Formats: sequence, C-alpha cells, structure tokens
Amino acid sequence: MSMQFGNNRPHSFSGRHRRGFLQDLGLGFGSVALSSLLQGDSTAHGNEIAESELKKIAPKAKSVIWLFMIGGASHMETFDPKPQLNKLAGKTIKETPYAKVLESPYLANERVVAFDPNNGFIRNEIYPLQVGFAPRGESGIEISDWFPHVGECADDLCVLRSMWTEDSNHGAQLQFHTGRHRVDGFFPTVGSWATYGLGSLNDNLPQFVVMGTPVADCCGGRECHRANYLGPQYDGIPLDIDSDIPLPYAAPPGGVYQEEQAGEFELLRQLNQISSEQFPTDEALRARVRSYELAFRMQTAVPDVVRLQDETAQTQRDYGLDQPETKVFGRQMLTARRLVEQGVRFVQVYHGSNGGAGQWDNHKGLKAGHTKLCKQTDQPIGALLKDLKQRGLLDETLVVWATEFGRTPGAQSSNGRDHHPYGFSVWMAGGGVKGGMTHGATDEIGFHAVEDRHYVTDIHATLLHQLGLNRHELVVPGRQRLERDFGHVIHDVLA
Amino acid sequence: MSRTILAVLAIVLVGSNLRADVDYESDIKPLFQEKCGACHGVLKQEGGLRLDAGSLIRGDESPNGLLDFDQPADSELIRRVATSDPDERMPPEGEGTPLSAQQIEMLAQWIQLGAPSPPDEEIIESPSEHWAYQNPTRPELATDIPEPWSSNPIDVLMFDQWRQSQLAPVPPADPSMALRRLHLDVTGLSPSREDQAEFASDPSTDAWRQRIDRLLDDPAYGEKWGRHWMDVWRYSDWDGYKNQLRGSQRHIWHWRDWIIESLNVDKGYDRMIHEMVAGDEIAPEDLDTLRATGFLVRNFHTSNRDIWLDATVEHTAKAFLGMTIACARCHDHKYDPISQQEYYAFRAIFQPHRVRTERLPGEPDTSKLGLPRAYDADLKAPTYLYVQGNEKNPDKDHPIAPALPEIVEVPFEIQPVELSDLASNPFLREHIETEEIAAAEKKLRSAQKSLRETTDKNDAIVRQQVTVAKANLQSIQHRWAATKAKFVDAKTDKAGATNTQANVADLAIQAANSERTLRFQQALLDVLKQRNAVTTAKESKETDEAKKKAAIDAASKKLAEVEKKLVDASVELVANDAKFTPVGKSYPSTSSGRRTALAHWITAPENPLTARVAVNHIWTRYFGQPLVPSVDDFGLRASQPVHHKLLDWLAVELIEKDWSMKHIHRLILQSRTYRLASSATVESEGTFAKNVEMDPDNLFFWRANVRRLEAELVRDNLLAVAGTLDKSMGGPDIDFKQGETTPRRSVYFRHAYEKQMPMLVVFDAANPTDCYRRSESIVPQQALALANSPLAIDQSRTTAASLSAEASDDPAFVTEAYAAILGREPSDSERSACESFLTHQATLLADSEKLSPSPGAAKTTVPPATDANLRARENLVHVLFNHNDFVTVR
Repeated sequence: MSMQFGNNRPHSFSGRHRRGFLQDLGLGFGSVALSSLLQGDSTAHGNEIAESELKKIAPKAKSVIWLFMIGGASHMETFDPKPQLNKLAGKTIKETPYAKVLESPYLANERVVAFDPNNGFIRNEIYPLQVGFAPRGESGIEISDWFPHVGECADDLCVLRSMWTEDSNHGAQLQFHTGRHRVDGFFPTVGSWATYGLGSLNDNLPQFVVMGTPVADCCGGRECHRANYLGPQYDGIPLDIDSDIPLPYAAPPGGVYQEEQAGEFELLRQLNQISSEQFPTDEALRARVRSYELAFRMQTAVPDVVRLQDETAQTQRDYGLDQPETKVFGRQMLTARRLVEQGVRFVQVYHGSNGGAGQWDNHKGLKAGHTKLCKQTDQPIGALLKDLKQRGLLDETLVVWATEFGRTPGAQSSNGRDHHPYGFSVWMAGGGVKGGMTHGATDEIGFHAVEDRHYVTDIHATLLHQLGLNRHELVVPGRQRLERDFGHVIHDVLA
Repeated sequence: MSRTILAVLAIVLVGSNLRADVDYESDIKPLFQEKCGACHGVLKQEGGLRLDAGSLIRGDESPNGLLDFDQPADSELIRRVATSDPDERMPPEGEGTPLSAQQIEMLAQWIQLGAPSPPDEEIIESPSEHWAYQNPTRPELATDIPEPWSSNPIDVLMFDQWRQSQLAPVPPADPSMALRRLHLDVTGLSPSREDQAEFASDPSTDAWRQRIDRLLDDPAYGEKWGRHWMDVWRYSDWDGYKNQLRGSQRHIWHWRDWIIESLNVDKGYDRMIHEMVAGDEIAPEDLDTLRATGFLVRNFHTSNRDIWLDATVEHTAKAFLGMTIACARCHDHKYDPISQQEYYAFRAIFQPHRVRTERLPGEPDTSKLGLPRAYDADLKAPTYLYVQGNEKNPDKDHPIAPALPEIVEVPFEIQPVELSDLASNPFLREHIETEEIAAAEKKLRSAQKSLRETTDKNDAIVRQQVTVAKANLQSIQHRWAATKAKFVDAKTDKAGATNTQANVADLAIQAANSERTLRFQQALLDVLKQRNAVTTAKESKETDEAKKKAAIDAASKKLAEVEKKLVDASVELVANDAKFTPVGKSYPSTSSGRRTALAHWITAPENPLTARVAVNHIWTRYFGQPLVPSVDDFGLRASQPVHHKLLDWLAVELIEKDWSMKHIHRLILQSRTYRLASSATVESEGTFAKNVEMDPDNLFFWRANVRRLEAELVRDNLLAVAGTLDKSMGGPDIDFKQGETTPRRSVYFRHAYEKQMPMLVVFDAANPTDCYRRSESIVPQQALALANSPLAIDQSRTTAASLSAEASDDPAFVTEAYAAILGREPSDSERSACESFLTHQATLLADSEKLSPSPGAAKTTVPPATDANLRARENLVHVLFNHNDFVTVR
C-alpha cells in the first residue's frame, strides 16, 4: 500500500477493523487470531460472518451433533434395504439383470491412495441381506431390525440413500470430514468451519467438542476434527468423559490445592491488570487475560457438564447407562445432549474405533459385527433423539449419522462385505430438516447411488446452511477452496 | 439485473454507513485478483479485457463501458457478476465461485465513490516485468540521514521511508526488554541473571555488539534458528501407522543435526542448498554431507510416488524460490507465468532420485540406526505430463526433459556425475567388513564355547555347529576378499601384492567355493537337527495318537526336504564357477547431475528469487512481520513490497557476503530498527499516537512488534529458567511422550504427523506437512497447559528453591523471580501485589487441613515444599510463568 494513497484518502486507514478482520482470517499473523471461545462480543470475526449472513440465511439450527461410525457401516443392513439381494444371493453380479453396474462411469470416481491386495475390491458374488427390515413410524421408512430404537424416531429422520465418495480405503474417513481425498492433504473439517463461522453461545466451554476414540492415524487421525489452516482455536477439543480429567491439563496435578490455584489465578489477574494499564493497546494481552478467565471457568464447567449422575435414573436408563453394551456410547450421547443444551456448537462423536480401520469394517463376520455395533449405538441414539425432542431441542439441533462409505453388495470372505464408495447412506434429524423422508436412491442392488447423488460435502453444505452460514463465505484469503469443497445444499430435505 | 438484486443493492447503498470505508487496496483489488485475475490479468486478457489495476477497470486509457458512475448498480460490471444467467455470469461456471451479495455490494459502492485507486498503482506490461523477477540491485542509500540512523544501512533505508511517510522514529526499547528480546531471538533462551547484571553495568553500543557476536557464536543459535528453517524445509521425523513407515524416514534426525551444525558454523546458504538438493552428487562419499539430503528424503511417501514427487516439487520451489509451481500441476498456472509443461520439467529433475539408508558403524540393522539419504536410482525414468493432473492419464507420447521455468533467466546445465566405487557400493566402507567378520568370529567363538561346555562329547550337532561357523567365517572372508579385489583392480592392495585380473578371478572362485562349502555344512547341520526332531516326535509322550502321528509326519516331511537340500548342496560342491552372493547392494555409478544443476540454478547470483526469499524469512522471525507478506509466493500475486529497497539491499548483501546468514543476522541485530520500543512510555506517547494515526498496522516498522514465543521456546524457557535444561545437542529423535519429563530442548523431540508433543501443539507448533510461517493463537488450552501441566509446576518448584537460596526475604525473592522469569524488575504495584500474595498464600497454605485437593490425577515429579512460605514462593514463580510477559517478546 502506498502512503501517498493513504494521505490522499484520510479514511483509508479507518477501515482498519475490517482489514484486521481479513488479516485474522489468515494473512495477519502479526495480529491476534482470537478464538471464538474468547469472543462473546460482536467483534468476533466469526460473528461478523454470522451477522452478515443472517440477512440471507435464517439459522434453523444452533448446534450439530455429528455421529460418525468408523469403518464403514453397511448401507444395505441399516437404512437402505435391497430385497433383490436375497433373491439374487449366490449369483455373480454379471449373472444378474444389473450387470451394467460394472460398466458405470461412476466407477471412475474411485481414487486409490495405496493399493491394498486384500480389500477395496468390487465383490462379485451377491451376498444376501443379513437382517430384516420393517417400515417404521407413520412415514413408514424402512429401517433395519438392528435399529429398533432409532426406528421409533423414523418420523424425525431424513435418510439420504445416495451418498458417494472417492476413496475405497479408510482414508475416506478423512474425506468425509474435510471433503478432500487423502492424497490432497489435510484441510479444515466441517466442525471447524462451523465453529469458525459461528459465534460462541457459552463462554465456559469449547465450541467444538469431540468424544469417543478418534479416527486412527491410518485414516486421517486427529485431522478428522482439526481446523488445519483456520488455526488451533477451531480444532475440535477431545473430551474424555470417562476420565477424571476430561480435557488435557483441565485440572492441576495431584497435590495442588484448589484454593492454592485460585490464589494464583487471582494474583495473575492482578498482574495482568497492571500490565494492561502499561500496555493499553495490547490486544494480545487482553485476549490472554480472557483466555485465563475462560480456562479457569472451563476447569469447573467441563467436569460439570460431564457429571451425568445429575440426570434422573430414568434418563440414565433411557440412554442405556445401566447396560454394559450401551453404557459407553450412551454416556457420550447423554453428554452430547448436555453440551448442546449448554450452547456448544458442534459435538462430534466417533463410534467404533479399534486403533485401525474401525470396527464397522466387517470384511468378515458382518452379521455378528454389525449386530454388536448396532446394539451399542441404537438405544443411545434413539434416546438422544427422543430426549432432544422432548426438551424442545431437536428443532435447533441437527443430528447427523454418518460413516465413510457403504459396503459391497457382493460377499467377501464368505460372510462379510468389502468397502464400497459408490453408494451409501447417512441420515439427518432435527435442525430444520424434514423428518420422515428418504432422499435419493441406490440402484436395485445397492451398488451405485443413482438418484439425487450427493458427494460428502453436500452434507457439509446443508449443515452449514441450517446453521445460518453461507458456505461460500467460508474462505480464507490465500487458501483456495474448490467448488466441490463447498458442496451443494440439499434443499429438498429442508423443512 | 434481477429485481431482487436491485432491491438488495438499493437498501445497501442507502443504508450502509458501515461500508463507507471500502478500500481499493484491501477490498477491491484482491477481489478482482481472485475472481477475474486468471482470465483478465497480465497473463491473459479474455475479450481484450484486463482488470488488474484500477485504471484498467475504469478504462481510463481505453474505455470499456464497465462502470456507470451515475447508476452504479446498473454498471455492466455489476450486471455481469450479479446475473443468474449462467451464460452471462462472471466468473463463469468452473472458473470460480460467484461473488457474494456483500462483495457485489462492495463493488457497487466503490463505483459510487468514483472507483478510486492509487494513482501510482503499478501496471506491468508483461509478467516478466514483475518486480520479483528482476535481479535485485543494491539500492542507493540516502546520504542525508542524520545520526544515529546513518551508520547501519537498514536504519538508513528505514529512516528514509519514515521521513517520506511523515513517521517519527520512536525511542529504543527499555534495555531490559531489548536484552530479553535479543537473547530470545538469537538463542531462544532468555538472559540469565549474570547476563542481565553484565549488561546493566555496561550498556554501551560496543557491549551490545559483543553480545550479539557472542550469542551468534552460541550453539543455541543453531538450535533456535534450526527450528525456523526446519519449519520452512518441512522437517518431519518418520511417520507411520504402528511400526510401519509411511512418510519421511527413520533416523532423519541426522538432517536436523546437519541443519543445526551448518547454521552454527555459518555455512553459506548457497552451500546449504547445494548439499540439501544434491549432497549425494557433490560429496558422494561424505556421510556428513549426505545428511543434508534429508531435505529430499523427507518427502518420501511409501504408497504413492506421485505424492512423493509432487511434494518434492512443490516445496523445493516454495522454500527456496517463493514459487507456487504446484499450481501448474493440472493446468497452466493461473497467476504466474508457469506452464503445466514447466511443472513436469521441474519434476523431471527429481524423477531419477530415490531414498536409501547407509549403514553406520556399530549397528548392522538399519532400522535401528542408519543414515537416510537421496540418490539417483534410475537415470532412465521418464517424466510424463499428466493430462489435467490426472496420474491415470500420462501423455506418454511426449516425455519431458528436465528444465526450469523460463521466467527466471538463469542457465540450467546438466552434467552427469561419475560416482566413486565407494559412493555407489556403500558396503566398501571399511567398518562394514570389519563388523561382518567380527560378527562371524563371534558366532564361531560361541559355537566353540558350546562345544567345550557340552557334556555329550559325541554331540554331532554341536560339533557340526562349529564346522558351520568356521565355514561361515571363511565364506565371509573370501567373499570380501573377492569383492575388494574387484574394486581395487589393478591397484596395489594392503598386502602389497598386485591384483591382476587372474587374481580377481581366482578370488571369486575361492569365494564361490567357500560359500558352497558353507551351504553344504549348513545343510548337513539342518539334517542332523531334523533327525533329532523326528526322534523327539516319535518318543513324544503325546497320548492323542492322531496328533502324535501328525507331528511325526510333519517332522519326517521336513527331514525329507532338508535331506534333499543336502543332496543338492553336495552335488553343487563339485561346481567350479565364480558366482557368490554379493556382500552388499551396489547402486548406479552415475548420477544424473540434474539436482546439482538445479542447485546451481537456484543459487546463481542472477537468480532474482533465492536471496530475497531467504532474507524475507530471516526478517520475519526478528520483526514478526515479513517484508513480503506471502513468504512462499513471490509470484504475480505478491505486489511490490513497501520495503522493496530494503529487501533488495539485504538480498544483495547476502549474495555478496558469500551467503553468510550470520552476517545478515548481525546487520539486523546491530540496527536501531531492531532495538525500537514496541510500546509507548510516558515520554514517547505523543510520537506513538501520531504514528499510529498514519500507520496503525506498523507496515513501516516504526516500532517493534509484540510477538508471542514459539511453542518450543515456551517449553525450553520453563526448563532454562529452572536451570534444569539439558543442553546436550543432537542425536536420535526423542519420543514426544517424554516431553514432560526429559529436559532436552524441544527441537530434539519427535515431530511428525500424529507424533507431536501436545503442549507444543497448543502453542501453534509447526504443522509437519507445511509451515512457512507460524500462527500465533491465544486459546484457553494454552492457559491450561501452563497452569496445570506437571512440567510447569515442577519447574516452578525447582526455580523457587534455587532462587530462595539467593534471596532471604520476600522482597528480594520477588526481585529475583522477576529477573529470572521475565527479565526485568517489578514495578512498585507489581512488587506490592506479589509481596502481599506471598504473605496471604503462606497463611492459606499453613493451614492445609482446611484446603481441598485438586481432583487431578496427573503426577508431578518435584514435590511441593513442606514449608508454607517456600510453597507460596513456588506459587509466585508459577504465576510468573503464566504471566503474559513470559510468553511474550516485547
């Protein structure tokens, strides 16, 4: 910038706030990138985006609960029944009337990172459905018998049966969260974009919380809930709700007294106050003071929010806290509700970690595997949906159930299914999404998504739209986003 | 234009006070650049239209009918960006996302203001005129600069600009702040009490200069600045799933040590580039130099060669040249004059190279110890352009030869490099033969010992084991002798005998013979052992007949197999050929020389980018703000920097002073500009206020920027202040999980994808995959880490104990604690708050029965003091470690 220009136009520096804002978005490393956590006031750049967007998109949802099944849940045994498979069982795909699926141009969407000689193939011999289906609710959406509790909420569900992705291996876990194939590298995740775009509703808690064991490093690791170039203030913060210390460093080590620490924080406050008088324009100092205030409050707010014994015995039973199979996920679901109740924006819950590709990855023993995993999650998810609804929270909370890809219509190792990126299902509920509907479809054998096809970022776009964000506004100077990164809002499913 | 958009605009234009400050440079120009630049810029002018300068948008010279100043909303420009007709809308489908309503509104408003732009805005005729592609020349320095600004060229250039911009220089920083800044910036460690006392007693310019020299000579300089360059050069320790290597390489810490050592000896930056890019070609035998090729090795990717090479291309160009060549992988670069062809030509330079690990003395297993290095494995490997970047669609009809982007007019000449025997046959390193023979001798001794100790003197197996061990030793000796003879060829060997061709052939036959003997003796041993196994199976007390039979059958089957091998081996004994197993792997004896040529090209004094990019990186880390903001992109999107002259002056200086980085450091550190205050005092308030009005963002460096310590320094200084920092240098990467308990400097801990110390991550440690510049966030997790980590508490306790030894009473303790931790004296109000805290906290802690313990389960290593007064002091130290000033450089 030329100074003469500045002199000619006396107001050219008065736009500092907004320029500073742009710099905060990624150019101004010298300036302070304040966390949305720290910003209850309207100067938050996150809020700035939100405010401007409110003009155009009225937010329907305040929070998101994002449930991710690690390993690849079979669409055909959960939310996309394909009775043809039972009739055709044992035949090769070529012998069926649907042989043309093997010539589809959609097959070219697959991008392989690393050839795996064992997995990631089209399996040719049709494998019958391992579970029955029944129409649920008034809407009559067909949901598998492994999900009876979720089925009771069918009229609140919007099942999307036409998802597709590219990665035929578990890098698809990363791809589902960033919209980018593993080969392209790491990018901000959907949760970090949401928190980046939104202001905070609660200054005592992180805005993007992660529960469950994260994706393993084979498949994206922490990058599945990190903010990458948006900065660590938009990373998902893992809460270990079954530990005495749900958050790293959330409590002083053993042997420190609470009063002792309170005394320290009080002195720190005084000393920083003295510094603030000496450096009245130091915004970083002010931000640090607030970060300490928040940190101090988080020390109690976080344990409070995970104190599930405060819930009634009935509620605890509803979520399955009294049964060994459902206890772990039930606690996470109940905590998720408590978090959104407190205004946390994005709660991401992983299910099925096994330190590798994930438990849902049933290359063999699919029936036994999925029976167990559905059992672990069904009742807690059902309880969550009902609980949210009963508390009037479902309208403002968008619940998403997702997985990285589906599974092959053909059999692998006699009783399992292989990875299947060409067609699979997810569902949404609440948050201004129509209930009791299905959207899109795979072909008769569940191979390709053929009707209203959606790439994974369409889920991101829809979710951000419901939060009142225009996805195209979510850009950072110097960081190019591709058209496909933004995805398309699935307007058909919006109430 | 649709009614809706008109309506929106009408509301906006009437009601928008907020937008009265629409600014061409910060709002409008970047928008045109992003949305229109690729097709309507200096590279391309679709429809004859160029939109990369205000005067061009307005059509000052040749009217383009884009803007309507009377009816801004009706402007053709607005219509084309706002229309919903996909055939009309700009940018077109697939070329960019449509403008948002706000952006359209901003444009309309800018038009309403008369579409102002700076009159001196640069419009280049062709990409080759871009400032960064011109050779830097040493700018003339003004001669009328007053003292004390006239002696350092940085100050001269700065002062000249301040003068032009009517900015007044602010006073230097308070001496204690300047001292702390200097120490932290150069070595990453805050000044000790002795440093402070010494400086207080002699604050002269000479003393300051001597201190600068001393600090630049401190090996800690290499550790501090090594980490900066490790960011830029993408240092990553090995990355992998469980124990499987996926990215980078094991033992790549050798490269880290090379970086630190090279900086400490002030190796020329040009030489460093040569060694990193082509160390295997310029010093093929020298293991120390080979370490440098870690720069290439780091890009290794186990599953995909394209990812590997793409990363190599992208980051070599970004790190050394500020060139975003990676954008030309799928199509010609949209902003810079780099074609897709040139991308692949650049890639061809690296096409032949691969990675291997040199065996190092003392450890034959290279997974435990070794030196990963680059080498040219396949000189014939072709490079193909991938059509639209799709690796499934290589253009095999047109193989691409190595070349460099033409926009940089520096000759690129490739000379293949002949490698010595030692370089292409790494097994010829003397220690390897010695160790192999020693290992065989050890095996033999062990076998002989077993024979001596066996109670059964007729034990055929034990005796045969000795025979095998002897044969093994002899075979190894003979194979080495034959191998070495081949390489020594006609030269005189150790024994003084002349190697003739015949001798080489005889030795080869001898090696083959002893290897045949070894195979025979080994086969015999296997038979003896298996016979025993059959006997054991037959005599087994297993009651299940079926199981027993199965075991006997299996053992007998195996016996038949080994007996057959014995027969084969005995038949082979009569052979007389010269084929023996090589003692190690041989590699090509020629290297393509492509990377050496690249290194020459990068470091040619006439390359306009290299030195500028380097000094910009150094500058950034001293001033918290670069001279060219896009540190990894000096292409056409990087507009001419405000400090162009300074950048060029420094770049020329770097080149002319033999690329000595310490020379640049010294120049910067000796400048008054570096020593400026970051904030106002009562006396300087007026100057600050006036300057802030002119330049609130400090674009002109008229004051120092307040910076936050880098992650590594936060941790290192906790240890350094407590006196517990282990200053030993170098060596294997330490498990990041030991970060809380092993007191080494942070640079030595494992740093890779999913393998980073959490405490460093919360303080914005480098992303191992890409970090040309650190961010400086302020998040509550940082507060929690400093407040609650056992590390911070342990170091507080240790610090308090050692400071208490020096300070008997509380006031003295407060003084010592401030000096040790914050490098300054407390103000009166701070002193009074701290002293009062010590009293109250001691009272509180004295009655510990009434206190509630933290629920935390983490464990400290250093127990709290039992004495309440001392414990209160520990608390005070802990508070000061959490003080904003501890993590801040002012």
